[in-house]
Amino acid sequence: MSLLVARGLTVAARVEGEAVPVFRGLNFALAPGRVLGLVGESGAGKSMVGRAVAQLLPPGFRISHGSMEFGGADLVTMPPAARRALLGRDIAFIPQQPLAALNPLQTVAALLDEHHRRLGVRGRRLLREYARAALAAVQLPDPAAMLARYPHQLAADQCQRLLVAMAFAGRPRLVVADEATAALDVIAQADVIALMRALQRASGAAMLFITRDLRLAAGLCDELAVMHAGDIVETGPAAQVLGAPRHPYTRCLQLAIPPMDGPRRALYALPEPMPGLRALARLPGCRFAPRCPVKADYCLRSEPPLAGGAHRSACLRPGLVPAIAAADALSPPPWRPAGQAPVLVLEGLCKSFTTGAWPRRGRVDAVRDVSLRVAPGEFVAVVGESGSGKSTLGRLVVGLERPDAGRIVLAGHDVGAGDAAARRYRVDHVQMVFQDPQAALNPRRRVAAIIAQALEAQGAKFAVRERRVRALLAEMGMPLELGVRSPAQLSGGQRQRVSIARALCSAPPLLVADDIMAGLDISVQAQLLLLLHRLRQDHDFALLFISRDLPVVRHLCDRVLVMHRGAIVEEGPTATVFGWPRHDCTRALLAAVPR
Amino acid sequence: MSGMGTGRLLRRLLYPRWLRSGRVALGLLVVVAMLALALLAPALAPHDPAAQDLTLTLQPVRLGSAFPLGTDGLGRCVLSRLLHGARLALWVAVAAAFGAMLLGSALAYAGGYLGGRTDWLIGRTVDAWTLFPPVVLALILLVGLGAGSTHLVLAIILAEWPRVCRVLCCEVRKGMRRDHVAAARLLGFPHWRTLLLEVVPATVPRLLTLLALEMGSAVVMAAILGVIGLGVTPDQAAWGQMIADGRAVIHQAPANLLAPAAAIVITVAGFNLLGEGLRRTLEPRPVGGRQ
Repeated sequence: MSLLVARGLTVAARVEGEAVPVFRGLNFALAPGRVLGLVGESGAGKSMVGRAVAQLLPPGFRISHGSMEFGGADLVTMPPAARRALLGRDIAFIPQQPLAALNPLQTVAALLDEHHRRLGVRGRRLLREYARAALAAVQLPDPAAMLARYPHQLAADQCQRLLVAMAFAGRPRLVVADEATAALDVIAQADVIALMRALQRASGAAMLFITRDLRLAAGLCDELAVMHAGDIVETGPAAQVLGAPRHPYTRCLQLAIPPMDGPRRALYALPEPMPGLRALARLPGCRFAPRCPVKADYCLRSEPPLAGGAHRSACLRPGLVPAIAAADALSPPPWRPAGQAPVLVLEGLCKSFTTGAWPRRGRVDAVRDVSLRVAPGEFVAVVGESGSGKSTLGRLVVGLERPDAGRIVLAGHDVGAGDAAARRYRVDHVQMVFQDPQAALNPRRRVAAIIAQALEAQGAKFAVRERRVRALLAEMGMPLELGVRSPAQLSGGQRQRVSIARALCSAPPLLVADDIMAGLDISVQAQLLLLLHRLRQDHDFALLFISRDLPVVRHLCDRVLVMHRGAIVEEGPTATVFGWPRHDCTRALLAAVPR
Repeated sequence: MSGMGTGRLLRRLLYPRWLRSGRVALGLLVVVAMLALALLAPALAPHDPAAQDLTLTLQPVRLGSAFPLGTDGLGRCVLSRLLHGARLALWVAVAAAFGAMLLGSALAYAGGYLGGRTDWLIGRTVDAWTLFPPVVLALILLVGLGAGSTHLVLAIILAEWPRVCRVLCCEVRKGMRRDHVAAARLLGFPHWRTLLLEVVPATVPRLLTLLALEMGSAVVMAAILGVIGLGVTPDQAAWGQMIADGRAVIHQAPANLLAPAAAIVITVAGFNLLGEGLRRTLEPRPVGGRQ
């Protein structure tokens, strides 16, 4: 007996006056007490499944066909009042952005009371008791202080815990978690996942876990459904789907993730992004075929059915899937003579920020006495939990912040003073790639103009700039015609490439990259990693790679620095630090990586 | 590629997306019509607005007669005075709005871009300035400066700039937080270029909206000052003075009061429609606006 059964569920979107299916004829079933993971890249339609359950589809999207039965009643045809009675009680949600989901004007106590009153709890004392119990259930410490706080005073993981508590407070039969831990750092993510798993087991609720992180899903889910372009392409018990994938897409995704153990290997980069909604509507045959490494002619003609027993896949040639492998071995870093002068030397760098307003003014030491060296051409990673000061370190190096004490020596010149001469020197010697490529590119300029900004600042001639833009676009693997587009017309991965190209334009010997893989899909991330490896061969730059993703760090960087509360607590070659961590903080970070 | 930034800016300004909105089209229609009437006033007006005919005072409204909207207590043609009053009202509206915009936005860009002490100083100046209600402030200034349309414009500018400055300053600060501004600084752009290419374009929609709304409010402020007898010299035709004069003869010739009042309402409505329309079409909608 299944709790949630989708039969032929189809959601259509209106794109420029044309009804286009987001996903078509989706079938899945979720038994009570089980966890189903919906996995796929952005645009696969997995979030829309979660929203369809809640009837929270964005404007222009609607369920056009099919049914979704919850405990025997169809959620699609049910009167809205009956559906509202189910939502929040029997069907609970854990949203993606914790802070945005909480009313900023209410304290934690008020938020919990409101929720509990809706669940039928009456009386001040009882409400207080329930609130405390809810906080205890999600291991939030110091309930008295916590209840008096407002959402903005909580850390991201505390907000998420609060939402988990609210979701499970009504003893729900189904919990829908949409990228619930995407905004958290590694350690907090592992904790919240463990918590969700424990609460789910204890309450016997079923869970729909929507994520783009294959490994996260592997650790949490009983069953997996891999989605591509609005279709479930493979589904079955999690161990089987990931252990012996029968669809090329699952296999390709697995190969695109850098491994945490075993030797470093090259990543498989899926060609082309997932087709857009309108392109999909016109695509005959298998919708994965344009990206598939093992496609045959007949794949383009007939649509493969989802076939098999417990472990089903929608592929006409599942026998070829295990043979898919990453193209080539990981190229070694280019050889460099030893004893070259370091490109970056930091000595006793300190930076603190004042927080709060006058009576309650405080000081936070963001960076404390940091010293490090980066050799030319070396890729150095800075890792740590959020708030460990790694981003501030990056901003200090490029000159967006001024240090309180200490020296910054860039290719032999002390630039710590931050005066006009130091700024001019920095332009040619260090550049930064920012985390959010959307904010980092001026939406009102064309790609070509953005890439050539460094030359524009020097007053270079048009012909010089044009040549450089052509060369850089080619190196980034982007077609030339993208040069006349505006950033809004690019995909996330393309925007990040433009951002990298702009930083490389003046050929600086040092690049600072602040969490540039965050929020990118697995296949896009693999492409960017490939790109960075290739650029390293052709160009001569060192990289300070600030990241929270340890597998990526292991794949890309030669040396790693671990930061904790503003100080470097451990450093060494990546293999040594990851293989034999010495500091507790490093161990905690490594233990939190989902495998 | 040089000058592409300004070229694109111009094209964006002329991009017809904002003409597609009904509000903008209607607002522009009213404003342009008013401007045309004002510019052509000498040709359109049937009489000299100052010419008195004491034998024909307080004539009623009779379309098709020599005085279509009647005459006032001194026998002056109401329609002619209305048309000539539009010249003054629109000149004040445009000059005062642009003046307030120049002063307010210059300080907003300076404060928002430089931050720190400059921002603090400008912010507190705006705070102190807005302690006075703008009309009272303009009134005091006008008493000190004396009557005349130039003085009127100056008084309105000095009363209105803090509003522009405050609204725009938020916008500039928001723009400054975006990483592409930091990137431009890192790439070695001078301050003025970073400001002009990376910060200002994002604030242009708000600037245009504010400009239209400020014009409307300048018309109102000029009228208020006119009603209490300040503003222009008595020999100039102004809507505010017409209302003040018309109040005394409301029972004998209501058109003396209603005509200038209607002119003010229509003009301000035009400017506000234009401003609101621009706000809706040019400024990005808040994120996550579901249902």
